[in-house]
Amino acid sequence: MVRLSNIDKMLIRMIKYSKGQFAAILVIIIVGISVFTSLNMTAVNMQHTVDTYYLENHFADLFIQTAPIPGQAVEKVSAMEGVRRAEGRISIDVRMVTSDLNERVNMRIITSKGTFDELNACTLLEGNYISNAGREAMIIEQFATARNIKPGDTIKVQRGGVQYSLEISGIVDNPEYIYLMENEQSLLPDEKAFGVCYVSETFGRQLANLPGSYNEILVAYNDEAEEDVLIDNIENKLSLYGVKSTVERENQLSNVVISEELKNLSVMANSIPVLFLVVAGLILIMMLGRMVKKDKIKIGILKALGYSNFNVLLHYVKYALSAGILGGFVGSVLGMALAGAMTKMYLEFFNIPLLRINFYVSYVVLAILLSSGICGLSGVVGARGVMKIDPADAMRPDSPKMGKRIFIQSIPVLWKNLSFSNKMVAKNIFRNRKRSIFILTGVSLTLGMMLFTTSMSSVMDQIMIKHFTEFQKMDYNISFQTPVSENVVNDFSGIIDISYIEGRIEYPFEVSRGNKKETVNIIGLQRNTEFYSFKDEKGNNVDVPAKGILLSENLAKILDVKIGENVEIKSFMPGRDIVPVTVRGIIKQALGINAYMDIDYMGGLLLEKNMITGVYLDTQDKLINEKLLYASNVSSIMSGEDSRAVYEEYMNMMFLSIGFMVIFSGILGFCIVYNATIVNLGARELEFSSLRVLGFTNKEIFLMIFKENNIIMILGILLGIPVGKLFTLYSQQAFSNNMYTLDMSPTPGAILQASLYTILFIFIAQLATYRKIKELDFLQALKVREN
Amino acid sequence: MDILIAENLSKTYTMGEVQVHALVNASFSVKQGEFVVILGPSGSGKSTLLNIIGGMDRPSSGKVTVNQREITDYDEKQLTAYRRNEVGFVFQFYNIMPNLTAEENVELATEISKNPLNIGEIMEAVGLADRKDHFPSQMSGGEQQRVAIARAVAKNPNILLCDEPTGALDYDTGISILALLKKVNEDLGKTVIIITHNSDISHMADRVIKMRSGQVIENYINEKPMAVEDIKW
Repeated sequence: MVRLSNIDKMLIRMIKYSKGQFAAILVIIIVGISVFTSLNMTAVNMQHTVDTYYLENHFADLFIQTAPIPGQAVEKVSAMEGVRRAEGRISIDVRMVTSDLNERVNMRIITSKGTFDELNACTLLEGNYISNAGREAMIIEQFATARNIKPGDTIKVQRGGVQYSLEISGIVDNPEYIYLMENEQSLLPDEKAFGVCYVSETFGRQLANLPGSYNEILVAYNDEAEEDVLIDNIENKLSLYGVKSTVERENQLSNVVISEELKNLSVMANSIPVLFLVVAGLILIMMLGRMVKKDKIKIGILKALGYSNFNVLLHYVKYALSAGILGGFVGSVLGMALAGAMTKMYLEFFNIPLLRINFYVSYVVLAILLSSGICGLSGVVGARGVMKIDPADAMRPDSPKMGKRIFIQSIPVLWKNLSFSNKMVAKNIFRNRKRSIFILTGVSLTLGMMLFTTSMSSVMDQIMIKHFTEFQKMDYNISFQTPVSENVVNDFSGIIDISYIEGRIEYPFEVSRGNKKETVNIIGLQRNTEFYSFKDEKGNNVDVPAKGILLSENLAKILDVKIGENVEIKSFMPGRDIVPVTVRGIIKQALGINAYMDIDYMGGLLLEKNMITGVYLDTQDKLINEKLLYASNVSSIMSGEDSRAVYEEYMNMMFLSIGFMVIFSGILGFCIVYNATIVNLGARELEFSSLRVLGFTNKEIFLMIFKENNIIMILGILLGIPVGKLFTLYSQQAFSNNMYTLDMSPTPGAILQASLYTILFIFIAQLATYRKIKELDFLQALKVREN
Repeated sequence: MDILIAENLSKTYTMGEVQVHALVNASFSVKQGEFVVILGPSGSGKSTLLNIIGGMDRPSSGKVTVNQREITDYDEKQLTAYRRNEVGFVFQFYNIMPNLTAEENVELATEISKNPLNIGEIMEAVGLADRKDHFPSQMSGGEQQRVAIARAVAKNPNILLCDEPTGALDYDTGISILALLKKVNEDLGKTVIIITHNSDISHMADRVIKMRSGQVIENYINEKPMAVEDIKW
């Protein structure tokens, strides 16, 4: 058995004596490390699972939407250098017919070869694969679950005014729809309103009316392929037929969402723990600094006995290391347990078949090294005063510190009107500036994190409200299968009771500047459109220009373009030239990445004049879906109301994680204030004992510290607002992507909410210190020489 | 043989804005196995002198030779080793570790020294064999001082330096502590140096060094040391 040295026994008893503070530090480390291990392991497990899933199901590298294209064209692509495999397929959006005729359910029908798919293969979860003929369909799991569809059921879809029955043969997952979203405007999946069905080529062609043709090509590259060059070559090869869009895997909708989620997970996994460990480190520095002062005689004796500076320093560093090692170990074990549950939850959310959940010992080792490293370093910094203690000096009492006037004393009007106890409070705040600054920093950090959390919840609100009620204001957005004359707008009035309607063009183009390019939908609008309200960075209104183009802020950033400069627009349709257009404005857009032009200017320049691809409309008519059920050219009807309803559901899920964040931030604030107050108590034991002897009650002493802390807390909250703004600014940059741009300026409501939470946790921490004041043995403290 | 020689020791330090001349050209020597009392009123420089002899402080000028080695030339590492192996301290306020038991306090010293004495025997010798598992808070002042003496002796140092060892004790306890120190001096052959302001204690010494205002004003051999039990104050 290892025999503990006596100096180590002293260490253990020192930990036991300061168990409350030690536990508070441990909690911070455990929270930080468990977040570190759980999120990192989840991220690694998820990445591994997704990679394996993509590999096993042969997820395509490139998705090309084309005009109808013959099978030979696909073979030509397949034979190109750099292409491992190319497969043609048909993908069309249809409406699903449900018992509620006014319910909007969009269904994407994709052709499949059942078990023979070489790219984007389905994983069968239940039932059977489809056969090569007949009206069998495999349906995506999320949609099947949401609508309770089982193998053997029949569903009806409608296309071009004709209804078709589909027999469900099986339930499947597909790498293309891990995250089931209709398009990038959706943001959130609405599993009841959008589904995907896989049908045979024969049936798909019949449904799409594309005999012998495809409208999409999936491509897998060879290992040595250069993506940009290859895409250019493929686009050239297919220009004869017309390419509508090419989407690389990295921009594929579901993959973008999952990659972003994993990226965010990694950002969180590595930033939250650092914050927690730094706070734990700062508390240790403060605690050990005080301990060394308090233990001056003890240190003197140890040195007098012949213990070296290193031995004594190590004694205190071991205190910090014990917290680091123990916290690191417990945190990583807890983190591992959480990682398993979190990975399962994620996999369920994203609909990926579960692989094995691996536990990575390397993260445990890294976590322990990280926490013990930071704690060890904090220990050295905190206890460095040990080196300066001279054994002879240690035995002598300290000469009293020089008294100084505080700055409030130079304002006589203020100072004279303060009561004696308030004067003491003011003096005490300034007496130990380091400790006051520490509490101040702790409170501002806590408020900062709280504010970030409360802002997060309002941010999603802002995205939705701003986007769907301020930025775009239409009740419905209807898309057509093929472009039609703008006169069609008038036809709608005959079917629906319309308040206001505008035609629009929406088409994908490649917008570029220099070597920077991005494929986006350019939307052609009436110049005096009532459905959009564009604002620039400063909040000024921006009109649709007669000539030129407006870019969403994120697009302008990608292209690195400024107002007045030109961008080049390349059409995917055959025989079109690349057209330069001047940027007339850069606008804020929370959801999606787009460009906007005047509808007439766009039609003349890029497509055909007087044609539209859809309409926006306002109507009180609630039966719009039912009334347009038989409109043969309508491919989709989207309403702002539906998007908001989905969002409400999503918000309920968000509350859970927001709750966790509030608790994390609260723990941080609690531990900082608790530790700082305990250290404060220890340092002023003699002072409080004297006050007790003078007749002060425990409550009066507590109120004195309470007042000191509250003044610092108020200052901390004020300082915490810019800190919170910095956190949100950082998150805004870290979490924004092409699909959404976060605009996280904290609202007064979020600030108030964050302040209330902060006050609550700090109040609890102060109550916990009351017990310590009650336990203070003032007679004993007065007997001992002041250290 | 002189075990300790102090030559022209001076020490000036600053306390706040005041310069304190704690020692002024103090010189004396001590022979191996002597029982020495350094006598002086408060502020006479005796604690400063003890700290310098004990390797806890350095003089502003002058030198100290212990066992023919000049310790005032030592660097920090050598001083640490000197304190570890050559000297033992006993303080007025005991200064034992509150969170270690009596025995553990003694072990704290022995586990870092080269040639320690048997702890059990030492505990027995100081009369604390049956109190060895008690914490300081469970012991009287006299018992705590016994622990401090045991801790100092157990390292097996050549010199025992005691700073007002009876200053915080009542008469009876004080006498018992002095008897213990005398026993250490006689039975174990250790050189014992006591500093005190209590002139009665000087009657038991082999050598008496009197100090005032940082200077040695008298240094003489006590031809007839008094038995401890005959000392009264």
